[in-house]
Amino acid sequence: MSDRASRTASNALSAGKVFGAGLYIAVAAATIGFVTLTPFPAYTLNLLMQASTYAIAVLGLTIVLGYSGQINLAQAAFFGIGAYGVALGTTTFGLPFWVALLTGVAAASMAGAVLGLMSLRLGGHYLAMVTISFQTILSLVLTNWIDFTKGPDGISGIGRPTQFAKSGPYLGLCIAGLYLVGYLVWHLRRTRLGRAMQATRDNELAAGVVGVNTYLTKVTAFTLSALLGGLGGGLFAGGFSYISPDQFSFSESVVFLTMALLGGSRFPFGTVFGTGLLIMLPEWLRFLKTIYLAVYGGAVILIMVFMPDGIMGFAVVIWRKIRPIKPLATGDIPPLTLGHPGGREEQPATLKISGLVKHFGGVKAVDEVDMQVERNSVHALIGPNGSGKTSLLNVLSGIYRPTAGRIDFDGENITHLKPYQRAGLGLGRTFQNIRLFTDMNVLDNVKIGAERPGNAIGGGAALERHALAALEFVGLANRAFEAVGSMSYGHQRLVEIARALAGNPKLLLLDEPGAGLNHAEKDGLVLLLERLKGHGLTIVIVDHDMHLVERVADRITVLNFGRHIADGAPADVLRNPDVVAAYLGKVDANAAPRA
Amino acid sequence: MGTALQLLFTGLGIGSIYALVALGFVLIYRATNVVNFAQGDFAMLGAFSMTVLTINLGMHYWLSILITITAMAIFGALFNLGVYYPLRNRSFLPVIISTIGASILLENGVLAAYGPQPQSLPSVFESQGFSIGTVFFDSQYVVILVVTVIMVAFQYLLFERTLLGKKMQATSQDKEMASMLGIPVALMIMITFIYSSILGGLAGVLVAPILFVSVGMGSSIALKAFAASIIGGFGDVTGAVVGGLALGVVETFGAAYISVPYKDAFGFLVLLVFLLFRPQGIFGERIAEKA
Amino acid sequence: MQMRLLELDQITAAYGKVAALDGLSFHIDEGEIVALLGANGAGKSTTLRVISGLLKPRVGTVRLLGHTISGHSPESIFRLGVAHVPERRRVFPGLTVRENIILGGANRPGSTRVELQSDTERMFGIFPELRSFENALGWMLSGGQQQMVAIARGLMSRPKILLLDEPSLGLGPLVVQQVYKVIADIRRNGTTVLLVEQNANMALSVADRGYVLETGHLVMQGKPDELWDNEDVRAAYLGGRANQA
Repeated sequence: MSDRASRTASNALSAGKVFGAGLYIAVAAATIGFVTLTPFPAYTLNLLMQASTYAIAVLGLTIVLGYSGQINLAQAAFFGIGAYGVALGTTTFGLPFWVALLTGVAAASMAGAVLGLMSLRLGGHYLAMVTISFQTILSLVLTNWIDFTKGPDGISGIGRPTQFAKSGPYLGLCIAGLYLVGYLVWHLRRTRLGRAMQATRDNELAAGVVGVNTYLTKVTAFTLSALLGGLGGGLFAGGFSYISPDQFSFSESVVFLTMALLGGSRFPFGTVFGTGLLIMLPEWLRFLKTIYLAVYGGAVILIMVFMPDGIMGFAVVIWRKIRPIKPLATGDIPPLTLGHPGGREEQPATLKISGLVKHFGGVKAVDEVDMQVERNSVHALIGPNGSGKTSLLNVLSGIYRPTAGRIDFDGENITHLKPYQRAGLGLGRTFQNIRLFTDMNVLDNVKIGAERPGNAIGGGAALERHALAALEFVGLANRAFEAVGSMSYGHQRLVEIARALAGNPKLLLLDEPGAGLNHAEKDGLVLLLERLKGHGLTIVIVDHDMHLVERVADRITVLNFGRHIADGAPADVLRNPDVVAAYLGKVDANAAPRA
Repeated sequence: MGTALQLLFTGLGIGSIYALVALGFVLIYRATNVVNFAQGDFAMLGAFSMTVLTINLGMHYWLSILITITAMAIFGALFNLGVYYPLRNRSFLPVIISTIGASILLENGVLAAYGPQPQSLPSVFESQGFSIGTVFFDSQYVVILVVTVIMVAFQYLLFERTLLGKKMQATSQDKEMASMLGIPVALMIMITFIYSSILGGLAGVLVAPILFVSVGMGSSIALKAFAASIIGGFGDVTGAVVGGLALGVVETFGAAYISVPYKDAFGFLVLLVFLLFRPQGIFGERIAEKA
Repeated sequence: MQMRLLELDQITAAYGKVAALDGLSFHIDEGEIVALLGANGAGKSTTLRVISGLLKPRVGTVRLLGHTISGHSPESIFRLGVAHVPERRRVFPGLTVRENIILGGANRPGSTRVELQSDTERMFGIFPELRSFENALGWMLSGGQQQMVAIARGLMSRPKILLLDEPSLGLGPLVVQQVYKVIADIRRNGTTVLLVEQNANMALSVADRGYVLETGHLVMQGKPDELWDNEDVRAAYLGGRANQA
């Protein structure tokens, strides 16, 4: 397929990519060569060794904290597992270096995976506690299991690979490892997994609804973080040939964390920079020797208050002010493919809700509701405040588990499926309080929608074309690279719709899409919905604005106190006395309203 | 049997320290939704203050206690203004990290000022303790238990029987609604920090004669107090106290019957078990259900 | 000329980027019950939040007895005599009914222990059912019971004006009747009330006057019968034209 837009845009990108890659490799080669051949004094050598191996471990935090937003206070423990793997492997067990390294890294990764599986269902401070507990227990084991780990005396005489036995080449090896890992971590951000991580970080609820398996994503992030921790530790052990338990304590985990935060945990370059800075800084601040750690601590507070995205984050903000993102010249973008030709034609109803019940404690939010949504129709769900509309929608999305009842989607029983599984079957949704992934740009937000399970798009250029097509449908293709936070509310609403459309949904749930929009924006929304109808999409819309609902709905279901009180064509339903009474209050023929 | 009682007594003693620190923790969490990683360092500051005042400046014990408590109150206010207040509207991650930073700052500040030598505070009692049967009741431990009981009682009276306590509870439960009733929310939070800081400092004063007073003592106590409050039920005041006492007892028995070097691990193992099977702890988080 | 008790003057307010109120002006005189009607999202609750200080307006002023209160903190506006009973009650879940009620008056300027006690007793007089569960904790109460507690709590500060936000929300029809009986009593005792409601019928049955909001603008005002018979009121809620009930 040859379209000019793709060519102009991606030609520019490709050229840039090739140049960037070449530059990176050149700089890497130069650094590695320089480091291998220059005879540094032992002191400098050690510093560089520490910096490079620490940086690899801290890049693990970039993945788990920066990309995925999960707190990991046990990175030093994983570092230690890798270190002890190499130390014990080469001394006690007489294994070759590479085998020992592999063992150490594998052990660290497994520990990370197990820890992740156990604890990522809990969040926040619970996760922090689990990682701290693990860290503490590991430190104790390293110190006290003297038979195996040699205890506080530590292990000396740790081996190195024969080709890299000398300090110069070994340092070159570490630096090479850093460049490789740095590149991989940088690239991860642009992959499907990387996007899933960022979505989970920015809005876990929405991520699940849009098709991301958030639990698995978090466990993967945790495992990768532990892997890199172990790798750094293994190289560290080989570099210094002596290790002891106190190098892998909770304080070191805190040091790793600070390094990640200072540079900017979301940016690989930032974390490496932060690591280097915090290792070099004590040297430059020799005169502050006694209080420099205190300054350290104070710095963490100040960073959190004034530069929560670290130095790199701050730099990016400045850069964006100097060079704001220009609108993308898009030219011809192929039209968005929507609709599912050749579906299950024998099912007239896309969605069938039977006897749905949702109780919260004593409150009956949804009280035995039946509803059928016909294929290719626009079905509105209305009702006064507190009538159960939002609860019903949340049960449909899988955010709430129903107390009783059944939901059939295109003939399949989805009542107990998780949100991301429902997305995989073609259920799309937008939220009343817009839930976009705020730290990603517009295009990435839409790409995540396109990457929902079961949507055969392919990667790379095809994915980008598809995402741009979805944006073009809502008229925002030229703003693909802007940050979502800077857009107007109405435009954010459109991006959310594009994100859902990119997943080629069979059924689209729109939760108060008109909320917060002004008159003109609402008119635009109505036109958009009418176009969607023409594409063979089934839509369920919840809204309060009756003018809007009247214009687009084929059928309306009315809820009140969790029960459905009317169902039918708009003209009939909106004139139904029960419905009027539900909204305006009971109309008593006798009551002349006055006291 | 005598040994078991002895261990129980010792366990309750050390558990009381955890309970006091956990209590301060939970109060701050309830009022501000912040997990204060520097809580243990309040204890460390209290212990160091006593050391400096009684040993270095040779002051009378009781005067030192008075000055320490006052200093901790002021410190609590400063902590609120410097660490919590600027971040009060941010998400929980920056705040946790900030309190970790505060912890580093405090520990290394004290380290820089005082040096790395651990100190030991001499006991202030004439008699070492007394015996009942085979059980020996160490004076300092008795004092710890007595003071803890007094503080828990005081806390109960303050929160359940005074109007101020009710206002503070209201602030923890719904800050905005409290402000709509004219309750000065910022002041309530300030009082919470001050009181929490005093609790922490008091724990430090009490435990100083028993442990070595060192810069790192705060962190280890904090971690255990944190674990204790989760075991008891995070956010629950009774849970903090019960969890702290339980942790102290488990640790002491574990050290005696299983292994001394791994003493510190027992608490965390218990915590891990709870996190896996009953994350809401013994008393759970009440008032859950949100529609 | 009688000074207005409450005046809103060209209020524009927003939540972040979302405009909620646009050039809203109205007034309330002492002793009135005024109803603020409109569909969901029209800006009714936002109006109350602006008055009680929870939301600062971008443009415009709110004046209480001639004194500008917009821009002040909720605590100080409370002390000037504005009591806000919020949407969904927000009874303190961990405190008892009695404690909730007492807290309503505890920060009234110049309140004494004796006055608090007698005011609390007075509340139990107005809401006799509450006495039977005065020691129940907030979370245990039903929606209707919570509404009574919230209103009692609001009255404890002897306010110059009581802001009631959707008292009928989430309550069954019978309970709503009871709540409105209380509201009518409050009015008879001379308290000025600004009542926000989606349920126009109930609101207009107790109010002296009403204002109708639509997307942050005032679209109509008048006496209850004028509003009730007006087609446009129904359209504001249900859209379309022909909605004869």
